[in-house]
Amino acid sequence: MLTVSVAELDLELDVFAGPFDLLMAVVLREEIDLLEVELAEVVVAYVEHLEREGELELEVATEFLVLIASLLELKSRLMLPSAEEELEELGPEEAVEELLARLLEYRRYREAAEMLSERFERNRGYLHRAAPLPPELRRVAIDAAAAVYDPERLAAALGDLLVVPPPLDTSHIRPTVSLEKRLRAIRDALAGAASVDFDEQFGGEDRLTQAVTLFALLELYRKGEVTWKQRQPLGPIEIHKRAPAPETSA
Amino acid sequence: MSDLSRTIEALLFLSPEPVGVADLAEATEATEGQVSEAMELLREDLAKGKRGIVLREVAGGFSLASAPAAEEAARRLLAKPRTPPLTQAQAETLAIVAYLQPVSRPEVARIRGVSSESAVQTLAERGLIEESGRSRFGASLFKTTELFERLFGLSALEELPDPSRFDPTPEDERELRERLLKAGEQRAE
Repeated sequence: MLTVSVAELDLELDVFAGPFDLLMAVVLREEIDLLEVELAEVVVAYVEHLEREGELELEVATEFLVLIASLLELKSRLMLPSAEEELEELGPEEAVEELLARLLEYRRYREAAEMLSERFERNRGYLHRAAPLPPELRRVAIDAAAAVYDPERLAAALGDLLVVPPPLDTSHIRPTVSLEKRLRAIRDALAGAASVDFDEQFGGEDRLTQAVTLFALLELYRKGEVTWKQRQPLGPIEIHKRAPAPETSA
Repeated sequence: MSDLSRTIEALLFLSPEPVGVADLAEATEATEGQVSEAMELLREDLAKGKRGIVLREVAGGFSLASAPAAEEAARRLLAKPRTPPLTQAQAETLAIVAYLQPVSRPEVARIRGVSSESAVQTLAERGLIEESGRSRFGASLFKTTELFERLFGLSALEELPDPSRFDPTPEDERELRERLLKAGEQRAE
């Protein structure tokens, strides 16, 4: 069967004000045999066009595509996440009624829009004064003045502005801990003694500092400056200064 | 022209907004009936073609406006170019707001089938629609403004033609239905 593609239909997608506009135009075109038109292709091309132009309203477009798919009984063609359930419920006849209702509603306001445009053109020639009243005429008599706001509301609003906001909690902002400084801290601790207890020396620090100190410890071990002993898991860590390896003579 | 109609002419000249009969009566310390009579005299005097200003009945009141013949010269004098005509998107959006107000943006999008954000924004910027409350889902609702009535020559919103007159005839509706059904026929995929 010969099918007419979007390109062959010679549709200027820009020209249409929306999917209903497009659908009506295609469906009402006299010279096309609707059995030949790849309606789904036209609709999908249009929706893609809308997306490119940034005019896509996702919910609306999805609804529309679901209706077209139901009309054309295309279950696999249009890959819409929520479409599957909705497609099961609507048969083509119901889709036609729903589409028709939506098309008619749109058409009503499209025609009303034309009426409004014409009205606008007809009335354009009439210009109105936009100037404010001269100052001497702008004053209002006190008795004519009417209160608009409840004074309590105004006071409450001002009161809100005067409340000092609670101090900010910055405890989540962590300062960084320098590895160099922690290396020095361990070396300094070992300067005065041959061994040092980790918890005694560094237990008072915050967790991050302790963690970096532990890392520094590993680094010093790697360099051969210290060793340590931990007699039981999670028990105290004894850090021992390591005597530099004696020079071996060949 | 009577004294009263001359006074009313002066008041309309001074007021930048349309003025209603009640306000005119209060200001001139006359009855509304007398104001209406005086208005007729004024209307005759300002009949089309006679003067450079015309009497208009818009937005629930009366207003003096310049005659269309003077439009070009007026724009040159005041350096005010013509505002652009409404685009189809704007006109459709405006029609929906005018007839269904108060109405939300999603509702407009649902009827038009496309996003109407920029049309709504432009119409609001031009002063033709304004926000007015919220729907129960929290979406802003829009209504038309007095400026809309003025620019479209409407004495009141009721003057808008009945929207059902924009619906297609039963025959056209039938044809559309048949064509949609035909498009759905024999598509075994």
